[in-house]
Amino acid sequence: MSQSPIQRVAQATPEPMARRIRGLSDRTIAWIFVAPTIFLLLAVNIFPLIWTVRLSFTDFRVNRPNRDVEWVGLENYQRILTDADIWHTMQATAHFLVWTIVLQVLIGFTLAFLINKKFKGNDLWTTIIVFPMMLSPAVVGNFWTFLYQPQIGLFNYVVAFFTGADPASFSMIGDVALAPWAIVIADTWMWTPFVMLICLAGLRSIPDSIYEAAECDRASKWRQFWTITVPMVLPFLMLAVLFRGIENFKMFDLVVQLTGGGPGNTTTLTSIDLKREAFEKWRTGYSSAYAVILFVTVFGLASIYVKALNKVKQR
Amino acid sequence: MSFSVTEPSARTKWLAAVLVVGYALITIAPLLWIIATGFKSPADSIAYPPKVVFEPTLEGYVNLFTDRTRATQDMLDAAGEPKTWYERIVRAQGTVINGPSRYGERFLNSVIIGFGSTALCMILGTAAAYAFSRFRVPLKDDLLFFILSTRMMPPIAVAIPIFLMFRNLGLNDTHLGMILLYTAVNLSLSVWLLKGFIDEIPVEYEEAALIDGYTRFQAFTKVVLPQAATGIASTAIFCLIFAWNEYAFAVLLTSGTAQTAPPFIPTIIGVGGKDWPAVAAGATIFLVPVMVFTILLRKHLLRGITFGAVRK
Amino acid sequence: MKKLLNDLLRLRRGPWEMLASVLIALGVLMLMQPFSIALYTWSFVTTLTGTVMFVIVSHFPE
Repeated sequence: MSQSPIQRVAQATPEPMARRIRGLSDRTIAWIFVAPTIFLLLAVNIFPLIWTVRLSFTDFRVNRPNRDVEWVGLENYQRILTDADIWHTMQATAHFLVWTIVLQVLIGFTLAFLINKKFKGNDLWTTIIVFPMMLSPAVVGNFWTFLYQPQIGLFNYVVAFFTGADPASFSMIGDVALAPWAIVIADTWMWTPFVMLICLAGLRSIPDSIYEAAECDRASKWRQFWTITVPMVLPFLMLAVLFRGIENFKMFDLVVQLTGGGPGNTTTLTSIDLKREAFEKWRTGYSSAYAVILFVTVFGLASIYVKALNKVKQR
Repeated sequence: MSFSVTEPSARTKWLAAVLVVGYALITIAPLLWIIATGFKSPADSIAYPPKVVFEPTLEGYVNLFTDRTRATQDMLDAAGEPKTWYERIVRAQGTVINGPSRYGERFLNSVIIGFGSTALCMILGTAAAYAFSRFRVPLKDDLLFFILSTRMMPPIAVAIPIFLMFRNLGLNDTHLGMILLYTAVNLSLSVWLLKGFIDEIPVEYEEAALIDGYTRFQAFTKVVLPQAATGIASTAIFCLIFAWNEYAFAVLLTSGTAQTAPPFIPTIIGVGGKDWPAVAAGATIFLVPVMVFTILLRKHLLRGITFGAVRK
Repeated sequence: MKKLLNDLLRLRRGPWEMLASVLIALGVLMLMQPFSIALYTWSFVTTLTGTVMFVIVSHFPE
C-alpha cells in the first residue's frame, strides 16, 4: 500500500505545496465542502423568502414598476384572512387532501400487506405498481383529461361498462359535483404506491420472532394484526401521511393540467389560486402575503415531519 | 421450504398474488393507453367504443415532430410527389410540412437542464454530505433541517421572488437560471440521501488511508467516492427524474428559449382540433425513459422517497 | 400529568415539542375547516406561534 500511485504522486509534489494540501485542517475542509451548498440555498431560497416577507407588507405590483410602492402594514394579511373566497379554496384543498390521504392509506396499506405475503414474483409487480409515482404529474395530468372525456374516454367507458350508464352522460372534469373527485382519483392512482412502499418497509421491519411469540401465546391472527402489525407500522404510516399531506397541500402541477381549477372554482386549490393572484392578476404584494401564509403552514408541518422521520430512523 | 408460523399458506399467497396483480393491471392501464394512443390514427384515437385493436401508424409521431398546415388540392398537386415516408403520411392527411415542430428543442432543453442540474447537484451534494457525515459541523442539525425544509416549500410561493430576482439578473428563461434553480431544489434530496450512503461506509477505510499518507482530500476522492458509487448513481437518477418532471417553475419562469417538455406537451394541438396521438407520442417519448430508470432504481426507491430515512 | 407540567417548567424538549406540534396541527385544522370563518382568520397566528415555538424549543435539552 505504501507505494501506491497516489503515494508516488504525493512524493513527486513539491514539498511546500504538498504540505499546504495536507495542511488543510478537517475544519477548513468541512467549511469548503459545506459552503457552496449553503450559499446556493441562501441565494435561491432564503434571500427570496426574505424578499417575499418584505413585499407582503407592501402593495407592489410587478406589472406597474414605475408606480410608487406603499407600505401597507398588515393589510394584505388582514384581507386574505377574512376573504371568504380564499377560505373556500382552503376547503377545496381540504377535500382533496383528506380524501386522497384516506384512499391512499387504505389501498396502499392493503397492497403492502398483500405484497408482504411474499408470493412468487412480488418484486416485479411492485415495480410495475410504482411506475405512476415516478412520472411527470403535468404530462400525466394532461393525459388524464383524455381518459376523462365523455363518450370516448377510457375512464368513462370502463365506468359505463360496469354501471350500465351512458358514457356520454357524465363528464368527470366538466361537472361541478364530479370534478373534485376527478382530481382525487388521478392523485390516488399516482401516489398510492408511495404509501405502499413506506408501509412495506414498516411491515418488513417487524421481526418474525414477535409473531412467533404471539403464536405461542395462541393469539388469533386478527388479534396479532391489531396488536402487532398496526402499531409497528404506525410510525411509518405517519411519515407517509405527513409527506403526502404536505405535498398535496401545495399541489399544483397535476391538478392545474387536469382541471385548471375549474369548473367554476370547484377544484381551485390554494396553489392554483395563488398562481392566479401572482402571475395573472400580478398583485405581487398581496400574493406575497398569501405565499407567506402557505410557507408558515408548510414549514410547521415540515417540522413535525422531520420529528416523525427521526423516530422512524431510530428503528 | 421452511416450516414456520410466519410463512403464509399457499392459498393466502395465491389470493394475495391475484389481488396485487389485479391492482397492477388497473394501475398500468392508463400508461399502456398512452403508449397505444401514440400509435393510433387521430380517428382511431377518438373512436367509440375505445379501440384496443387498431392498425398501428406513425402518424402521431410524425405530427409531433412537424409543423403542418392544411393545403388545398392544387397546393398538394403543385408540391409534387412526396419524397420521404413521413412526407407521405403528412400528405395523406391533406396537409403539407412547414418545418420541424418545437418538440425537439423542448426535449433537448429538458435533457440539458436535467443533466446540467444533476451534475452540479451531485458535485455540491457529495461534498456537503461528506462534510456532514464525517466532520463536526457547527449547528449541524439546524443546517440539515434547513436544507430539508427548502424542499418542502410550495414552488408557486417561492416562484414570485425568484421570478423578480431572475428578471433583475437576466436569468429569466435561460438554461443557466433553470439549472441553478433545479440544483437548489434538488440539493436537499442529494445531501440527505448521500449522507445516508456515506454514513454506511466504515470510517476505518479512510483512517487507514490517512495513516498511509493520503491527505483528507485524497481519502475522500480515492477511498470514499468509489465506495459510495452506487449511492451516488442512484441519487443522481433521483435528481434527474425530479428535474425532468418539474412543471411549476418551468411554466412560470420559462416561455421561449429554455422551456422544458412538461409545460410544452399539454400545449400540443393539431391542425383543427386536439391531436391526441401526437400528445400521446410526445408523452411516451418523455415518460418511457423514466420508467426505465425506475426499474434500475427499484432497490433504492424507498430511500429516495423518504430522504434516506427508511433503508429497508 | 404532574410529570408533564414539571418537564414543561424545566424546559425539556419532548413535551414542549409536543405542545408546539399540537399548536401547528390546530392551526392547519383551523385553516381548512368549513365551519367558522373566525377560526380561519385566526389560523395563521396559531400556526405561526406553533412554528416559531417549535424552532425555539427544539434547542432545549432532551
